[in-house]
Amino acid sequence: MRFVRTAAFIFRPSILAAMVIAISPSTHPLAPIIDRLEQGGALLPDTPENVVEVVGILKSYGVVLGAYERNLNYIAEHQFLVLFPFFKYFDGEVTLRKLLKHWWHDRINYEFAEYCMKAMFWHGAHGLDIYLDSAEFRQRAGAAIQAKLRSNLVMGSLNRLLPEFLLEQVRMLCYYSALGQFWNVMSRMFLSLSDRYDCGEIQTIADVVDHVREGLVAAAANPITYAVTIAGQVYEIIPKSVGLTFLMDTAVPYVEAVFFRSFPFFGTVSYNAQAHQISPEQADFNYGALFADPLPIGGAGIPPTLLMQDMLHYIPPYLEAVYMKGARGQDDMRVKICLSFQKSMFCVTTAAMQGLAPYPFSTTDPEQQRANRAYLEQWMDRFLTSRLMQVN
Amino acid sequence: MLSILVWAPILGALLISCLPQAIGAQRARQIALWIAGIVLLWTAYLASQFDLSTASLQFQETLPWIESLELSYQMGVDGLSMPLVIISSLLSWLAIFSSDRQINRPRLYYALLLVLSGAVAGAFLAQNLLLFFLFYEVELIPLYLMIAIWGGALRGYAAMKFLIYTAVSGALILAAFFGLALLSSSLTFDYDVLQNQTLPLATQVILLTTLLIGFGIKIPIVPLHTWLPDAHVQAPTPVSVLLAGVLLKLGTYGMLRFGLGLFPEAWKVAAPVIAAFAVISVLYGSFAAIAQTDMKKIVAYSSVGHMGYILLAAAAATPLSLVGAIAQMVSHGLISALLFLLVGVVYAKTGTRDINVLRGLLSPERGLPLIGSLMIVGAMASAGIPGMMGFIAEFIVYRSSFEVFPVQTLLCMVGTGLTAVYFLVLINKAFFGRLPDNLANLPQVRWRDRIPSVIVTVLIIFLGIQPSWIMRWSETTSIALVRNRLERNVTLTVAVPMPLELSLQPDLTLLPTLPDLQG
Repeated sequence: MRFVRTAAFIFRPSILAAMVIAISPSTHPLAPIIDRLEQGGALLPDTPENVVEVVGILKSYGVVLGAYERNLNYIAEHQFLVLFPFFKYFDGEVTLRKLLKHWWHDRINYEFAEYCMKAMFWHGAHGLDIYLDSAEFRQRAGAAIQAKLRSNLVMGSLNRLLPEFLLEQVRMLCYYSALGQFWNVMSRMFLSLSDRYDCGEIQTIADVVDHVREGLVAAAANPITYAVTIAGQVYEIIPKSVGLTFLMDTAVPYVEAVFFRSFPFFGTVSYNAQAHQISPEQADFNYGALFADPLPIGGAGIPPTLLMQDMLHYIPPYLEAVYMKGARGQDDMRVKICLSFQKSMFCVTTAAMQGLAPYPFSTTDPEQQRANRAYLEQWMDRFLTSRLMQVN
Repeated sequence: MLSILVWAPILGALLISCLPQAIGAQRARQIALWIAGIVLLWTAYLASQFDLSTASLQFQETLPWIESLELSYQMGVDGLSMPLVIISSLLSWLAIFSSDRQINRPRLYYALLLVLSGAVAGAFLAQNLLLFFLFYEVELIPLYLMIAIWGGALRGYAAMKFLIYTAVSGALILAAFFGLALLSSSLTFDYDVLQNQTLPLATQVILLTTLLIGFGIKIPIVPLHTWLPDAHVQAPTPVSVLLAGVLLKLGTYGMLRFGLGLFPEAWKVAAPVIAAFAVISVLYGSFAAIAQTDMKKIVAYSSVGHMGYILLAAAAATPLSLVGAIAQMVSHGLISALLFLLVGVVYAKTGTRDINVLRGLLSPERGLPLIGSLMIVGAMASAGIPGMMGFIAEFIVYRSSFEVFPVQTLLCMVGTGLTAVYFLVLINKAFFGRLPDNLANLPQVRWRDRIPSVIVTVLIIFLGIQPSWIMRWSETTSIALVRNRLERNVTLTVAVPMPLELSLQPDLTLLPTLPDLQG
């Protein structure tokens, strides 16, 4: 199933008061979840433990996302067509100390951000892809490529020989930038969620969902642009006039690519490729965050583990205390982080579902309720093999 | 000097027993660890003082005891017993360290462990046949009690079976010793005197057969092995470690010391039969291991198979094969101890040893990743992968035995391949794959659970890279055992003849060339 993309796409606030459902109960296998959503609830049950886990993990995620987005934007803007970007993770600050830290691996795993970017690039973002295949993009990117290669005869010749090669690199850099801009908003949103929690304003899972949804609404129309400076001249590769916006051209494709599809990494799910357990159909990919197996099977270093390792550094004390009460204490911290992270992503997904619904869940019109029911059942079909039941 | 190895643990056991219950329960473990640690250090000191150039007994102690019975307190150590004493001291300390801290009746438990340690050391060091027998029998008591009290659900059955088998073993050994002493007319039980007996060959064969059955139960040789899997499965982990690592070696040690040492002519006659039983043990043990689903039973049957290699090397009785036999004793002692330690941790954390239930234990966060990794190392060592002690020992055994028993050696080599089969089955089933949800909340594995296995693993790898550290103890003694046969004017058609002048300057580097001397 594809995300529902209505022309009059509007995020609507949820109505949490008890709703009257005029139509008969759903017979879907995940009917209890549908019922909860129709009543204004979330995919994740509202318990004090879940609130602590979700807010705590999103605080840590916010810090990590901040680092990721700064690096993605740095690569897009300052590593433009640097074909051997040895220091792309250094954000322009190359020192021996930083190099040693990089080699020691006690650092932010920027590779994870690139995996997410590549997942988006691979699975595609509808509006962005249309533009990247347009003549305007070819002309704008071509100008930037020419400017970059002006004094480089070898690369200039190569570009004439293989004219699509550098163009494809620029397309990828557009995705670097787009994801960087998306995460910039999300990072600030999650950190402000944590601040509001610390002030006592966030007390339920519904509060978390509302906060995320309102954050998405606020940024929905933010333009997505991309420009690089070469020899003092600015080259606009994605100008504002193209009309790419935050919500439809980054947030929605991101959820599709990273939450749902992703790649079949070991540790994300357990599979046996030789037994053809990996579908060759890209549309069948269900390896995203909502499907990830939190128990890695010996795949240390694979992307989900990298993110958990990064978040481990920024876990707030109250969440760490919860984790330390577990049977294995410090030993399985990354698994616990993964479990909490999945819970938090179900909250983010709830916010997206509420916003994308054809009608507000508070509607009393049976026809609108039926339309919402069909919409929710389509979502639930996708969740059947996800970790939804495990977090419930 | 040697008596400390025997009496320090026994006095320690007395000390623990005499402590008031309130203090003893808390302090028993520390006292036992300290005493075992002192014994280990003392063993290391003795090893540093050990003269590698002589085959004669060293650090000898002789005291008359019951003269009317010809029982004297004669202790001594040579290249045959020194490596085993070292292994015994090390594994005793590790067994105490790896014992459950919350064990019931700790005073009795640690006292029995110390008695066991002292008795085993005594058996390895005794140079009087009756004294050996006494220690050999004393060791049964703590072992029986430890299985019977702290064992698994069928501990009563396993302990009784162990007791019956090993008591019969002791009786046969005693009968052989009495027979030798009486028939040789020397009326003594001193090893060095009996070594020069000149009994008719038929008498020797009868006595040797009795002795071999006695020690064969202890080793154990198929079909005398049935007590071992039961004992291992029911015994607590530290007891399994000592049983496989040290106590089985009493059987092979006794066979070499008293069988080959006292009846060299008869040994020549019995060697083909011994080699045949070696093959049966190796193949039966290996195939039986493949059929098991209990991890401990797999390791137990693996022990039956690997003890067969020692038997094969002993049957060949060449200087090199005897070095190989001793190396295999040490190697098997360390590797089986490692495997039992690891199985013990798996059982303690998961509550099962069934490889059809266990899965995915290598899971890096919630499984037992280090324990699983060490299990793979242990399996590789057991299967004779180069770079580890198992390879060195098995290679020397095969290299030397092939000259004498080529067919039997080739059949035993099949056992090495089968070792890889059953351990890969175990590792694949229990450690690979996804951790099932019912095992996803295992208790934390602490470093104190890992330390014993890590120590043994380091030794296995170190001795695999630097094997001379274990070979050098036994070179001279092995050559002397063979020389003893030559001096007794035995025409050797089974074992490899060795010129006396070579044996006077023992050097392991000469040993691989020995088969060439035949031509």
